[in-house]
Amino acid sequence: MKEQIEQIKKQALEQIQNAQDAKALDEARIKYLGKKGELTLILRGMGALTPEERPVIGSLVNEVRDELEAKIEEGEKHFANLEIEKKLKEENIDVTMPSTKNSLGSVHPITQIINDVKEIFIGMGYEIADGPEVELATYNFDKLNTPPDHPARDVQDTFYITDDIVLRSQTSPVQARVMENTKPPIKIICPGAVYRSDSVDATHSPVFHQIEGLVIDKNISMADLKGTLAMFAKKCLGEKTLVRFRPHHFPFTEPSAEADVSCFVCGGKGCRVCKGEGWIELLGCGMVHPNVLKNCGIDPEEYSGFAFGFGVERIAMAKFGIDDMRLLYENDVRFLKQF
Amino acid sequence: MKASIEWLNEYADINTGAKQLADILTMTGSKVETIESQGNDIENVVVGKILEIKPHVDSDHLVVTKVDVGGGEILQIVTGAKNIKEGDIIPIAKDGSKLPGGIEIRTGKLRGVDSCGMMCSVGELGLDINSYPDQIENGIMILSSNLEKELGKDIKEVLGLNETVLDFEITPNRPDCLSIEGLGREVAVSLDVPFKDPRKNIDEMNVENKENIEGLTVDITAPDLCYRYVARVVKDVKIAPSPAWMAKRLNSCGVRAINNIVDITNYVMLEMGQPMHAFDINSIEGKHITVRRAKAQEKIITLDDQERTLNENMLVISDDKKAVAIAGVMGGQNSEIEENTQTVVFESAVFYGGSVRKTAKAVGLRTESSSRYEKGLSPENALRAINRAVELVEQIGAGKAVEGKIDVYPAKQKEVKIPLQVERINLLLGTNLSKQEMINILEKLDIKVENDIVIPPYFRQDIESTADVAEEVLRFYGYDKLGTTLINAETTLGGKNKEQKIADSVSEFLVNSGLSEICTYGFLSEKDLAKCNITGDNPYLTQAVKIQNPLSEDYTLMKTTSIPSMMQMLANNNNYKNQEVKLFDLSRVYQNKNNAIENGNLPEESNILTIGMYGQKENFYTLKGLVENVLELAGIPKLDVRKEQNNKMYHPGRCANFNIGNDVIATIGEANPLLTKNYDITQRVLIAEINIDKITKYARKTKKYAPITKFPAVERDISMVLNEEIEVGEIEKIIQKKSKKLLEEAKLFDIYRSDKLGENKKSVAYSLKFRVPDRTLTDEEVNGVMKEIVSELEKTLGAELRK
Repeated sequence: MKEQIEQIKKQALEQIQNAQDAKALDEARIKYLGKKGELTLILRGMGALTPEERPVIGSLVNEVRDELEAKIEEGEKHFANLEIEKKLKEENIDVTMPSTKNSLGSVHPITQIINDVKEIFIGMGYEIADGPEVELATYNFDKLNTPPDHPARDVQDTFYITDDIVLRSQTSPVQARVMENTKPPIKIICPGAVYRSDSVDATHSPVFHQIEGLVIDKNISMADLKGTLAMFAKKCLGEKTLVRFRPHHFPFTEPSAEADVSCFVCGGKGCRVCKGEGWIELLGCGMVHPNVLKNCGIDPEEYSGFAFGFGVERIAMAKFGIDDMRLLYENDVRFLKQF
Repeated sequence: MKASIEWLNEYADINTGAKQLADILTMTGSKVETIESQGNDIENVVVGKILEIKPHVDSDHLVVTKVDVGGGEILQIVTGAKNIKEGDIIPIAKDGSKLPGGIEIRTGKLRGVDSCGMMCSVGELGLDINSYPDQIENGIMILSSNLEKELGKDIKEVLGLNETVLDFEITPNRPDCLSIEGLGREVAVSLDVPFKDPRKNIDEMNVENKENIEGLTVDITAPDLCYRYVARVVKDVKIAPSPAWMAKRLNSCGVRAINNIVDITNYVMLEMGQPMHAFDINSIEGKHITVRRAKAQEKIITLDDQERTLNENMLVISDDKKAVAIAGVMGGQNSEIEENTQTVVFESAVFYGGSVRKTAKAVGLRTESSSRYEKGLSPENALRAINRAVELVEQIGAGKAVEGKIDVYPAKQKEVKIPLQVERINLLLGTNLSKQEMINILEKLDIKVENDIVIPPYFRQDIESTADVAEEVLRFYGYDKLGTTLINAETTLGGKNKEQKIADSVSEFLVNSGLSEICTYGFLSEKDLAKCNITGDNPYLTQAVKIQNPLSEDYTLMKTTSIPSMMQMLANNNNYKNQEVKLFDLSRVYQNKNNAIENGNLPEESNILTIGMYGQKENFYTLKGLVENVLELAGIPKLDVRKEQNNKMYHPGRCANFNIGNDVIATIGEANPLLTKNYDITQRVLIAEINIDKITKYARKTKKYAPITKFPAVERDISMVLNEEIEVGEIEKIIQKKSKKLLEEAKLFDIYRSDKLGENKKSVAYSLKFRVPDRTLTDEEVNGVMKEIVSELEKTLGAELRK
């Protein structure tokens, strides 16, 4: 009996060893361990054994069965791995082939600057305000302390629809509209198109974009204005950007200033962009003129505020290195897709 | 305003270099635009006289000259210049000389003939041709024959080129700084040195008022436009060139010297900021000056030989018969100072700035004088100026002053008083200055502070309120010393509104879908609209806002639609051979509805998203899908798509409106082939217009969860043959209507045409999915609905159902 079992074991091991694929292994399993397998039949024939022999033979058969099962399993794993390896080899692709992506569009550079600025000021608690582009002269001029005889009202500078209706020459009329309709505190920025009677060339356009800012509350100071613009400049133009104020004059602010920023191209050393000055003129600003507050129904004794405004095209051109303003309005996709 | 450092130095000791001075002044508000150092780059250029000109043996266009350059030195110079003749006095760059731009001149041969130097043009000396109007641009500079006795002298000395001149940008609130005196005052305070005031004693020149001098009388009949008119008379005048020092100073400010009397008026204007005029008394009919409004169509020939037509809004200086000057703008030829003028009337007047500005614009003459008047001058300065003019007349021996003056001064300048609010100024600026610090600054600026009342001097009419006082304090405390603080106030929320959020998310989606945003002008022209098939009484034309003073005929109207500009941009890209172009434009259109503008109201402005595309992959349905995505993204619930056949800009068979009720919120389609032809685009163009304002109005406000149903769906397919012109939308409407809210989805899965079906027929197949949230539908229910759908399709559309 023992010899017979040993014989089966030897044969089985040999067959497993020689199996060339998973199918041959399966055949071996059926032949020795299946329902009618040789080892199974021995277990079944145990009844004929003496009670002394039974446990000995039983344990020997189980031992052999476990060993064979282990071998078969090992073999199966081996063949499965071979199978996967083969598949992986067959499925090799050239990953450097071009993709089938959709091409992306682009946000216009002017909008990109406007979006950047919006985000910065929204973070500081500002709302985005809006107003008409075809505007009453009273909002574009009179309420902003620019009386009828003021040079800014010349037809050489401003487009007129009627004597009393103009294309807004600045985003400032939105200030006046917001002040009339809102009780302070007011914190707004207003981006938008403005119109001036300038012929088209590399640095001029009859339509361009401005962003206006306005803050009205109690005890707002010129130092707050400088602090706000310093923060804005750092976020918009880089952490190292400095702001410098120079005295200037605008009818709707007093005191007024022009704000320069340290050149964000050369860092202030002087280069072509800043014309060797180290500073770039960024915007006009100042404390809202008491007459403007009065004109818009706000008591200048109780409230003060600041306003600033700048041209988007100029910043876009400086930031992106665009040397001709006309490119912004030609809308050649080869230009647009660079942004 | 140009000012030489030499002249400014008369008012304040300038102890710094030009660049540093410019930087300091810029930071105190007198911005220096450029620093001109004339003659700095010129070396060894001298005055020479052409002795002879002979032809060049080997050249038709060159000549060989002999030039006397003084000290007995005669140079042979070869030149191609055409404007020279023997005897001319010219600048000569000698061997080893230097010219601006790093040019060095050396002796050499020109076509084999020795040339020992070069004759110079205005440009070669680095000078502005506009400052030398009697010279020609491309020729040799011809100097005055008076310089014959100066042969060999350095050209810089002769032309007064050893000057450093600062060019200031003066803001319109500071007409006092359009003078050397005013700038000198700013220089003194900025450098913190004493203001020397060389005209301190000018009032001593004052003489008593008279009604009549040498028979001259003055009347102002328009006191609203003329605040003061002062006249003085000078006799025994000898018209002659001005002394060199005066000509040189005029020249440094960019003003050409003419003769002693005219030069004195210009000199006083530059020095004190008060424009002046001089008349020949004999040309004043009746010796009676009237300051009056012009008559309609009144004519005057001004000093520049141009005839000007005037109107009743303009102010003139007139004698008993005719206008002799346009007030504040320019004198008339009829009263010009001539070589034989013997008696001169000086005028120093102050006119209303607004009127001078309008007059100057209207006659097209912006002069040094008008540009000062238009900013509003101080009447108090007028008397000082005329006294200074008389002083100069006597100083240079140009004539003899007649005793007495005529001074008509109907509107005396008022003294302004402003309380000094120290705390308020500190709060406004964010500073912490003491009262004494403020007073110190103000007093340096000649602003008096008496008992806490600020009294600006006569020449500072721009200071009217505490805010103005604060600016003066800040200018000399230092804008650069201002702190940077953050607002300490009530918190505000900030953020974008609903429309801004929708616009931003739509724009982001379009960019991710491959569209590029464009930026266009808000203008268009009637021609642009015509190119887009819009003519006659089409509202796109009739409602367009018209610009009174357009820049050109291409920009006469405001956009009523962005399609013309979109077509233009597509055409540009097509010209650049860009393929597969997909663009969008988010901008405004303006419609003058119900004659809003004629009634003094503003036109309607709408925010419109315009899409324009061409390319192989694009067709009506890709555009439709894109627009549906946009609307879904914006949260537009339900839409009705209707064929649109009347919109002139679109292909009548390939255009649809997206409606909510009767409100059209979007129009999409193929551009009418007329448009593509007019814009020279050879392929189909797809366009869409989406009204962002309307989308915002209809957009779903809140999102709410609806439970996901657990009950199974019942599916049925339906297939039918019907006439070609029946739109599938009609089928869907019937399916919707008849399925009594049991329908979850109706999906078109097949559509085909064949000979078998017959001409003008199509087969359409839908897959319908029925489901309700609260129970399982029975076959009977669904069968019932299907029966109704089928019978309605047969009845209304004549559909033949296929089994």
